[in-house]
Amino acid sequence: MSRKLKNNLFKGSIYTASFLSIAMLLFLISTLIGKGVSAMSWEFLTSESSDFGSKGGIFYQIIGSLLLTLSAAIISFPLALGMAIYKSEYIRKNAFQNITNTLIYSLNGIPSIIFGIFGLIFFVNILNMGISWFVGGIILAIMILPTIILSSYQSINSIPVSYRENAASLGLTKWQVIHTTIIPRAINGGFTGLLIGLARAIGETAPIMFIATAFSGVTFPNSFLEPVSSLPTHILALAQQATNPQALQNAWGSSLVLIILVFIFSISALVRRVQYSKIKY
Amino acid sequence: METENTIQHQPLSDLAVTNLNVSFSEIDVLKNISITFQKNKVNCIIGPSGSGKSTLLRSLNRINDDAHKIKTSGTIHFNNENILQKNQDLTELRKNIGMVFQSPCVFPKSISENVTFGIQQHRKLSKAEKATIVEENLKKVSLWSEVHTRLNESGNILSIGQQQRLCLARTLAIQPKIILMDEPTSSLDPLSTRAIENLMVALKETYTVILVTHDISQAKRVSDHVFFICNGELIEEGNKDQFFNIPQKAETKEYLKNEACIC
Repeated sequence: MSRKLKNNLFKGSIYTASFLSIAMLLFLISTLIGKGVSAMSWEFLTSESSDFGSKGGIFYQIIGSLLLTLSAAIISFPLALGMAIYKSEYIRKNAFQNITNTLIYSLNGIPSIIFGIFGLIFFVNILNMGISWFVGGIILAIMILPTIILSSYQSINSIPVSYRENAASLGLTKWQVIHTTIIPRAINGGFTGLLIGLARAIGETAPIMFIATAFSGVTFPNSFLEPVSSLPTHILALAQQATNPQALQNAWGSSLVLIILVFIFSISALVRRVQYSKIKY
Repeated sequence: METENTIQHQPLSDLAVTNLNVSFSEIDVLKNISITFQKNKVNCIIGPSGSGKSTLLRSLNRINDDAHKIKTSGTIHFNNENILQKNQDLTELRKNIGMVFQSPCVFPKSISENVTFGIQQHRKLSKAEKATIVEENLKKVSLWSEVHTRLNESGNILSIGQQQRLCLARTLAIQPKIILMDEPTSSLDPLSTRAIENLMVALKETYTVILVTHDISQAKRVSDHVFFICNGELIEEGNKDQFFNIPQKAETKEYLKNEACIC
């Protein structure tokens, strides 16, 4: 086979792979828009659901999903930032560094249903916290922790050693060096990781369905220890009524709203990444 | 020309190295170095690449402390205290012994924030104090006239030569007694190099300057006292005229002639 033919074959195969990936994504999104847009109305977005979701809107499901992701963000962000700084600035030995890497990647690879089961056994049963959005927030926080840690860690690692040395040579203590040169960069990277993590968390069903959500009859929670409705579990409930055209239409509408929320997080992450890549280091 | 006698009467600096040995991962980089630096002079450490010049310089403010598997023995006395002691206050040490590195490292902040970056970590500054410190130190490094209209712009917009002077201003702002310079002109064009060299000469009125360079002609232009280090050992030292005109050791002669090390 000639070199030119090999080159063209390789080029053709990567073009085909790219085309198929984009085509599948476009098909999915266009189907969602096509089917979901007919359910979309101001009333659908702002009214309470009824009749197990087949009637009414998804207002409390949107609120519930946002509440879960917001609590996950508040819990996970400082923890991940602390871990990333500890990992980059305080762990020296290669062996320990490898162990932490393995643990973080392992945490990232755990199937989401396992997080749900863990939450059910530990928080709901052992700690007797009941089914609540707060427990859901904790579990989602644990789930997205590796994404934020790795994103912050990569940001910190991209800071040249000379910045630490220059800061230290001015008489700054280790904490001052971390505070002035490391943390601002870690926050930037961590925030991008957080948005990517939240884009994943908001669409998760398995980790929260046993521990944080109720399928119907729930409005705004009055305390930390009450369940909420969420978009993914609502879609699951509606999908189970697939023979009801109204329920099916609401499922498409809810899916479209969920995808829009995921897109908002993903695009925000992308914009932030581009913004901070412009910082000259 | 200075004579040997005048050199002996030069006030010595408060910085003296005695029997200093430094190794990284069991590899000896500095071997039994003993040096007393001259006060208010440009002390120049020269030698070929990898001879241990930078390691010596970086030992003087212990910026090497975090290096992997570093072992240090001997003493470095500053103000009659051995700074190699474990309980040494590194913040105090580095406030007194400032450092300018090979490549300028401007923080992603404004020009004025870069100047006050170090000093404002040591004490709280009023707005007026900050303005005074910025002006004073930018003037010291002859940068004020070039940047005074854009102090709030990012330091990264400056040319490399200006950035290096900004780094020097940042170091001067912490009011050190000694300034360490690790090949500060190696990434600069000839014009910026000359500007930094002029500054070194001007700064010695107030500060003791310790310069590491592999550029023999630069050492000839700016130094008052020269230390030649080769293969981790101090081969020869002397005042500039004596060192360059009548070197004593064969190794020094060879280095000055061919920039080659025969140690």
